[in-house]
Amino acid sequence: MSRLKDLQKNLFGGTTSNARQFGMIFTLVAIVVLFQILTDGLTLRSDNLIALFQQNSYILILAIGMLMVIVAGHIDLSVGSIAAFTGIMVAKAMAEWNLPWPVGILFGLAIGALIGAWQGFWVAYIGVPAFIVTLAGMLLFRGGNQFIGNANTVPVPEGFRVIGSGFLPETGPDTGYNNLTLLLGLAAVIAIVWRELKGRRTRKEMNAEPIPMWISILRMVVMVGVIVFVTLRFASGRVGTSFPVSGIILAALVLAYSFYTRNTAGGRHIYAVGGNPRAAELSGVKLKRVNFYVMMNMSVLAALAGMIFVARSAASGPQDGNGWELDAIAAVFIGGAAVTGGIGTISGSIVGGLVMALLNNGLQLMGVGTDRVQIIKGLVLLLAVGLDVYNKRQGRFSIIGSITRSFHRDTPAVPTPSSGAEREPAKTTVAG
Amino acid sequence: MRKLLGKSMAVGAIALLALTACGSGRDGGSSGSDSGGSKGFAANSLIGVALPAKTSENWVLAGDLFTNGLKEAGFQPNVQYAGASTTVADQQAQITSMVTKGAKVIVIGATDAAQLSTQVAAAHQAGVKVIAYDRLILNTPDVDYYVAFDNFKVGQLQGQALLDGMKAKKPNGPYNIELFSGSPDDNNSKVFFDGAMSVLKPEIDKGNVVVASGQKDIKQTAIQGWKAEGAQARMDQLLTSTYGNKELDGVLSPNDTLARAILTSVKGAGKPIPVVSGQDSEVESVKSIVAGEQYMTINKDTRTLVKQTIDMVKALQAGNAPQVNDTTTYNNGAKVVDTFLLPPVAVTKANAAEAYANDPKLAPLTK
Repeated sequence: MSRLKDLQKNLFGGTTSNARQFGMIFTLVAIVVLFQILTDGLTLRSDNLIALFQQNSYILILAIGMLMVIVAGHIDLSVGSIAAFTGIMVAKAMAEWNLPWPVGILFGLAIGALIGAWQGFWVAYIGVPAFIVTLAGMLLFRGGNQFIGNANTVPVPEGFRVIGSGFLPETGPDTGYNNLTLLLGLAAVIAIVWRELKGRRTRKEMNAEPIPMWISILRMVVMVGVIVFVTLRFASGRVGTSFPVSGIILAALVLAYSFYTRNTAGGRHIYAVGGNPRAAELSGVKLKRVNFYVMMNMSVLAALAGMIFVARSAASGPQDGNGWELDAIAAVFIGGAAVTGGIGTISGSIVGGLVMALLNNGLQLMGVGTDRVQIIKGLVLLLAVGLDVYNKRQGRFSIIGSITRSFHRDTPAVPTPSSGAEREPAKTTVAG
Repeated sequence: MRKLLGKSMAVGAIALLALTACGSGRDGGSSGSDSGGSKGFAANSLIGVALPAKTSENWVLAGDLFTNGLKEAGFQPNVQYAGASTTVADQQAQITSMVTKGAKVIVIGATDAAQLSTQVAAAHQAGVKVIAYDRLILNTPDVDYYVAFDNFKVGQLQGQALLDGMKAKKPNGPYNIELFSGSPDDNNSKVFFDGAMSVLKPEIDKGNVVVASGQKDIKQTAIQGWKAEGAQARMDQLLTSTYGNKELDGVLSPNDTLARAILTSVKGAGKPIPVVSGQDSEVESVKSIVAGEQYMTINKDTRTLVKQTIDMVKALQAGNAPQVNDTTTYNNGAKVVDTFLLPPVAVTKANAAEAYANDPKLAPLTK
């Protein structure tokens, strides 16, 4: 096998479907480089990167939930309204009942869960299509927001604002950087190296063909390099700023949900349900329960996103949440999910969301008006999905094609599809 | 497993340390907030202007005037509008981008006056001066100046014109009127309404003027988002519920867009046209006034307001304190903001030609 093929095969995972993932990451890098040049280096400056994460963390959090909803073969149009409704409830509760802010956050999550259970009930147990249920929810909770808030803007207390506009504190010796951000970066680097080494060992234990050493090292160097670069950027912002709290919440959610969707039976059930609901049900997947929890989970995340936005805006307003559902859905589809369900990854959706975010930010830095920004974003969405469909018809690589193929080859009773799009090549059980 | 973890920690630590060592450290005081501030800045500096969505002619005109006026004064203008649907989030991102690009002054026409404090605080920390344009930014100590038309006066003029107009049509009351107010998330809506009510309330108390529907509270009269369809729908409902066999003499409308929507509704119902107030001197409304339909509008010449704002920017550039004429009235919840107020002018069919004589777009309409 030539070195080039080795590289292609192994650098970003295992199978051909990773070409799509690679394509997305490549697009992301290309956009960063493009705007870095066009804006004279403003794009990668610390303050801009920090702002970028603060501005988009709530959309990316929505994208996590939306990915699972779309993979299960549904859609959720109500997330923006739920976010707005939760925002005003929490803001009012803190203002009028003097709830301490941590209780306020719990209160908000509880509202999200309650709304989610309501919508999940209609989708899973009554069988009304999610499109209709959430369209109703969109109206219901937008009206609820205006009813509760009288369409006023209600400010939230200082402590609460931390989840939206807070940063890691400055502690420890003066290193010229934010120390906690450095520690966070260190942890990420260790995790990357550990995972790579573990992956190699697992392959050895399973007697699989080992990945050439030089590729392992190259991959580690690239990833570690990126993480170190980003860490230093975040750690070297203006004193008082560092990696934003909302970014930490996002990172924790991404890790947890990636693990859940990839490595647990519950997570794989979502893919099974989206791929073929009948087959999944016959194989023992509790169809209704999966649908119920997927919808409920989405509402909880929407509630969280709403609170983060309110915290960042320092107040809950009547225009909160307008159009968020579309941003989240666009991120998921740009990130390679299939409209028909059953296909897509958390990491892909995050990359898709970041592509949109960087486009937005870069164009704004260049002073392009929102009218043209919207046109460009629309075209990017169409092109990204169009390219995938075209490639499929041409018989070239396609996430959709390659995964449905592997679907047929595997035993259908144990659905382990679509993990091809993940970076982890070995689909083994969790070690230890 | 432990050995593996140890190995990875070693590799990670070395990599991070090595790169930290050759890193450059914090930007330090490059964006220092030397709070003396009155030193001025370079004459060709970037000036950011963040405006709401392009939903009314006024904002589009203001944007053009800012771009040209700032360019003429030698600055680099960066004028941005919020998007149509995600207005608040857009404006927040735009303000942050302007700070990143190194703007020295940011002029903000807020979409939601209470949801910008985080961004304005960040701007201030980076040493940027913030001017609130037309709408006061609330609950933050980080607004430097506020420039606007005297909006309480606007309301008073609308109320007075409404009374005058009804008296001219029908010498004796009681007059039936209905009240409309602007978007509840716009800080100015209440000011307009209170101004108008300061004139109308004594007449209502005397029984000379009657709000026939009984809807006198600002929460009942508000039109979310200043949307025309909202005003039209509310007027439709009022006509069916209240004016089956009563005559409607006058409608207090806070601006021209809503005034025309109200007129559309009245005409659709086949009722005689009441006296309707307005504001902003929009082209269609000026035509309507000349044609004898809408009774009055307010001329808040956007040119004067933008010119005043640019004068403030120029003063800041030279290191002087900008001119203000009100340092007591405008409390935004965190501090009293230094304000420059411009006087509004009431325009009816009688003085339209005179009032718009200097306006290249409106003057021909009054001939």
